[in-house]
Amino acid sequence: MKFQCDAKAIAGAVTAASKVVNAHTTVPILNNVLVSAQGDRVSVRATDLELTLENAVGAEIQEEGSCTVPARLFTQYLANLPVAAKLQMQGTSTRATLKCERSNYEFYTLPADEYPPLPEGQKGVHFRVDAKEFRDASSAVTFAASGEEARGAVLMGTLLELDGSDLTMVATDGYRLARRHVALAEPVTSPSKLIVPARGLGEVVRVPSDGVMEATVIGGQANQLVFQAGDVRISARLVDGQYPNYQQVIPKEFDKKVIASTAQLLASLRRAGVVAGDRASMVKLAMDGSSLVITASSDTAGNAYEELDVERSGDPLTIAFNAKFLVEILNHIESETVALEFVGALNPAAIHPAGNGASDRQLYILMPLRQ
Amino acid sequence: MILHGDLDAFYAGVAQRDDASLRGKPLVVAGASRRAVVLTASYEARPFGILSAMPLYQAKSRCPELVVVPPDFAKYRQASQALFAILHEHASAVEGLSLDEAFCELGDATVAEALDAGRKIKDAVKEAVALSISIGIASGKMVAKIASDDAKPDGLRAVAPGTEAEYLKDKPIRRLWGIGPKTEERVRAKGLERIGQIAELSDDVLYELFGRWGAELRDLARGIDHRGVNDSEAVRSISSEETFEHDVAGIAGLLPFVRSQADQLAERLKQRMLRASTVAVKIKLSDRTIIGRQTSLAQPTDDPRIINAAARFCLRRAALHRPVRLIGVRVASLAPAGARQIALFS
Repeated sequence: MKFQCDAKAIAGAVTAASKVVNAHTTVPILNNVLVSAQGDRVSVRATDLELTLENAVGAEIQEEGSCTVPARLFTQYLANLPVAAKLQMQGTSTRATLKCERSNYEFYTLPADEYPPLPEGQKGVHFRVDAKEFRDASSAVTFAASGEEARGAVLMGTLLELDGSDLTMVATDGYRLARRHVALAEPVTSPSKLIVPARGLGEVVRVPSDGVMEATVIGGQANQLVFQAGDVRISARLVDGQYPNYQQVIPKEFDKKVIASTAQLLASLRRAGVVAGDRASMVKLAMDGSSLVITASSDTAGNAYEELDVERSGDPLTIAFNAKFLVEILNHIESETVALEFVGALNPAAIHPAGNGASDRQLYILMPLRQ
Repeated sequence: MILHGDLDAFYAGVAQRDDASLRGKPLVVAGASRRAVVLTASYEARPFGILSAMPLYQAKSRCPELVVVPPDFAKYRQASQALFAILHEHASAVEGLSLDEAFCELGDATVAEALDAGRKIKDAVKEAVALSISIGIASGKMVAKIASDDAKPDGLRAVAPGTEAEYLKDKPIRRLWGIGPKTEERVRAKGLERIGQIAELSDDVLYELFGRWGAELRDLARGIDHRGVNDSEAVRSISSEETFEHDVAGIAGLLPFVRSQADQLAERLKQRMLRASTVAVKIKLSDRTIIGRQTSLAQPTDDPRIINAAARFCLRRAALHRPVRLIGVRVASLAPAGARQIALFS
């Protein structure tokens, strides 16, 4: 393998792929990135066997081939090259030689044919979606997934439900739930459900590419979902398991509603949350007339009182929530006004961007606190 | 004075209480799996050499007519709550050690007054849950606990202030707090077998044998024990451990212990009005290496099922490659019990 390319470009690709390298791995070759030169592109791949990241950059290829280079060494070396320099790289199964201006380095490598191959298996579900839409939807949903390992991988993942031209993304940690719909670029032939680990979607969210993202399931033993957008390919092992029946916890009807300024509500809750800090972060929302009063108190910090003018319908209600959950949800609402809908003080509440049909696109369900 | 109370063969006692046909019979409480171990043995089973944590097949081989009863944790919790309610009525502070064992602070009570409280507690426990409890009374925690052990079953024993050293003098050193099997072996090799011998050691010998901890150990051997009953002190973590008489191989045999420890911890969290956000397990293997695993919870909890599930998760992640000598569960990141987050999926 021999090629020349822009040092900064390959530095970006190596850094992006190396993120997945686990410093504690016991398999030596997983400390390395696989560099492959083919056609007019050089690709850089890294994996921890659960998640695989691959980035490609343009290059002048003199000899096609591949080699593996220790990720940490390679990233640090590249980070310290002069800006706008050209890098000349040559690699074999034992050595990689890197030349840049008047510096010349040799790194010990491991044979490329020992690097874990890309997942193989029968291609299953395939869908195409606008890359930016998918990114936005992923970040609006994945934060609600569980971070609690003891409760299992299913709740730590995000559910992707494909049906016709619709992709529904759902995440829940058992206390709050996020759901968002995204229109597919073209309809899928048959409905299916996939659970993607949070880490996988976390990488997808960072892909800068615009245009269309392709996603394909590689079935069988591999059971991976491979995302491809521009020069980036991400493949994540899917989670096996039954996702909870989330539809049954979304109330069909609400009889109390408040519409508030998203920014005002968020600021009030952040301030009140400072006081609520030590008591399960509890804030109380009291709705009456055309006002929403937020209170919090703690034995050590003191008391908080916030009053907002809101549009309101239905009976008065006082309900308690974990302030952190409310703030996290409101952080993902981009519309100027937000709607909060309730049934009772111990029933799930709905939070969504205000406006007709907005809850169909993006919806959050939050369980209250029992005082 | 301090009172130590401990229900007699708790799990087995509950089984015999609820089924008259089991009374007077050698009985153990154990799980149903092929590799089950004994959780508690009734007093009738003990003469056969049957002990807690012994593999069930071994217990059966020692006593072919042994009756095996599955555990019923709901009943144990119920009895435990009743027990602690009674203890709180008679003490200014109660420090729970497990579901069926606690220290009680009796303040300036005289021996006669303490014995009277002990009798009332015994009667109330018999009346409320129909179980027998053994009670030890002394000026310090250790002697109170040793006295209640000596009084078992269904006994009441007080050690008058000033007579502690005399009471301890002829007992084997193993009964001193802090003397484990390893230390015992080392100390016995020096010809020290009785607590009274420790009480008389010189500073130099103490230091050589036990390091800095020696002076404290000699105080204990002399019956000097100033540790009070902590029920409300700021606790950072609560743990429950069990060392097995026989090493337990494989996770299946450990699960009933984890389950019962999770129950104990949940009970103690509730008593202290606390909830925990971290659950950890401690495992000591047969070669004495210690493995620890812990996990964080999204919501602070005092729910025994959640603690049990988290502890099982830690246990599975520990990838045990040897038989286990000790298993313990610990809860930490404690916060005062506040409002409770309602779950979406019931």
